[in-house]
Amino acid sequence: MLAALAWRNLWRRPQRTLLSVLSVAIVSGLLVFILSFQNGVYGQMKETTLRIFDGYAELQANGYADDPSLDHAIADPASIAQQAQKARGVSVAAPRVNGFAILANGPRSYAAVVIGVDPDREARLSSIPTRIEAGRYLQHADTDSAVVGDLLAKNLGVGVGGKVTMLGSARDGSVAADVLQVRGIYHSGIPDLDRSILEMPLQRAQVTFQMQDAANTIALGGPSLNSVDRALPALRALASRAGVALRDWQQMEPAMSDEIDLKYLTSLLFYVALVLVVAFIVLNTLLMSVLERTREFGMLMALGMRPGQIAGMVWIELLALAAIGCAIGVAIGGAITFWLQQVGVVFPIDPKLLEQFGIPTRLYPSLSALSALAGPGALAAAIAIGGLVPFGRIRRLTPALAMRAA
Amino acid sequence: MPRRLVLTLCLVAAATPAWAAQPSADAILQRAFDNYRAKNSQSTLSMTIHRPTWERHMGVRAWTRGAGDALVRFTAPAADAGNATLKLGNDTWVYNPKLNQVIKLPASMLSQAWMGSDFSYNDLSKSEDLISQYTHRIVGSEQAGGHAVWSIEADPKPGAPVVWGKVVLKIRDDSVFVEETFYDQDMKPARRMTVDRIASLGGRPYPVVMTMHPLDQPNQWTQVQTSDARFDVSAPAYLFTLSNLQNPRS
Repeated sequence: MLAALAWRNLWRRPQRTLLSVLSVAIVSGLLVFILSFQNGVYGQMKETTLRIFDGYAELQANGYADDPSLDHAIADPASIAQQAQKARGVSVAAPRVNGFAILANGPRSYAAVVIGVDPDREARLSSIPTRIEAGRYLQHADTDSAVVGDLLAKNLGVGVGGKVTMLGSARDGSVAADVLQVRGIYHSGIPDLDRSILEMPLQRAQVTFQMQDAANTIALGGPSLNSVDRALPALRALASRAGVALRDWQQMEPAMSDEIDLKYLTSLLFYVALVLVVAFIVLNTLLMSVLERTREFGMLMALGMRPGQIAGMVWIELLALAAIGCAIGVAIGGAITFWLQQVGVVFPIDPKLLEQFGIPTRLYPSLSALSALAGPGALAAAIAIGGLVPFGRIRRLTPALAMRAA
Repeated sequence: MPRRLVLTLCLVAAATPAWAAQPSADAILQRAFDNYRAKNSQSTLSMTIHRPTWERHMGVRAWTRGAGDALVRFTAPAADAGNATLKLGNDTWVYNPKLNQVIKLPASMLSQAWMGSDFSYNDLSKSEDLISQYTHRIVGSEQAGGHAVWSIEADPKPGAPVVWGKVVLKIRDDSVFVEETFYDQDMKPARRMTVDRIASLGGRPYPVVMTMHPLDQPNQWTQVQTSDARFDVSAPAYLFTLSNLQNPRS
């Protein structure tokens, strides 16, 4: 009964109602797109950055995070990697030996991180194998081969086919020395990696660094960051069974995680402002209409309606208006976002600049229930709460006075 | 009579070495370095590296020349024999027999562990920094084992390229190091070298057993025991050359 009345009231002033609905719809649609876009960009940024080298999560020897030395090693990485690959959402688990050594080519020498890798698994996890600028990536049958970053190669003055000498400390404290042939030079776009990382075959690294069959870390990859994130509980159980530690992407890249949190926080301020402005515009309209309708309310009271019922009716009008606006906004905003999610968005920004931040040139929004409903939901809630304000005024009305109002 | 007394007193004062009355921190430190390494030295040592899961014993021969140059050769175990480190002034090279190659250490490696021990290359190559890059003051003295022991605090000079926040040394009155504590930039003690035995060696009192303890790793230490040392015997100049590093003549 109240709802029917409210609905009829809404369309007594179709122009005003439509304007309010439209402003709610536009802002809702905008919020759907912006949130989805933000999620999409950060998601791509995370995935691109993590896929270069880290992987989406990592198993590592206990104590390795605090003291990344060869001493903190996983004794049986092969079987743990095999079990990790069985976790739903994890498609590849790549054991690595992480050593530290001086690389030398003639009189030139530089300190570098030497990573022993399984070439086949690495190709499914890291994008370094696809970012080879000269030569080729490591292959299964390689023994004394290495790939180095372009900056490291330049510093050492070594090209494809050249030899680098490696000198470091093995796990048992003895000297780890080896001569490797550079098969390929990669360019990851991350200067820190390009300047400091040499990859060599895992087995050779295990021999050189006296690791037996051990490894320091097992990098984990999957079809998407989300799929690996969803596998974290299973991986955590595996880690505690196997006596190793699990690190998720936030722990591996805390700076990136913090940066994204900060960006969400600052844009949240903007969203709150947007929601408040629209809510106030709609409420302003409501207050005006309540004032205008004082006579009408007096009449309804004279007919026997209680003030609470009248206030409820006005509130339902407002809720209906907000619901319609939000629904239209979600539908149109969602449709546009969904379409852009298929075709991508290209901004006229220098691709090299974007590469620095791990952002690809073509950006894809990522529509989810959360990104579609959070903004419009907040807007509807703000309007619903603000709509309680006229209650006080309506409750104070008396039929006689109200009917005499202008 | 009073005149002669004054004169005598003056003469006595002049004849007395300055340190006996009022030793300066700089002088105490310099004499301890001189006692430790003399103009040049040849020594034979053994180094024990202790870790929670393993322990290694290494044989070492070392030569020093002046304040800046040093050659260290490993003689045992077989896996490490032949490895050598040469330091000339600020430059450090290492030789590895398996590679048969001399490699100059990049500056970024100097803070790394030296041959897997708790000493860094810096301990070898920057030992002189303690004199030249720090200011020194006496912060205390005590009596121990019939000797006076000075505590000297060394603070980095402004802008000095050093890694420690400060270093506190304990030096006996016969110029023997007793203890050395290294503080990080937050002024927390990071590692401590203790002298576990002092004996007469090469005709002087000498810290024959020294142990370096990284203070954040309780079950980890490196001990150096000097079994033989000769001081101020002239060493041939070819000893401190890159070609001798790679192809030892002796």
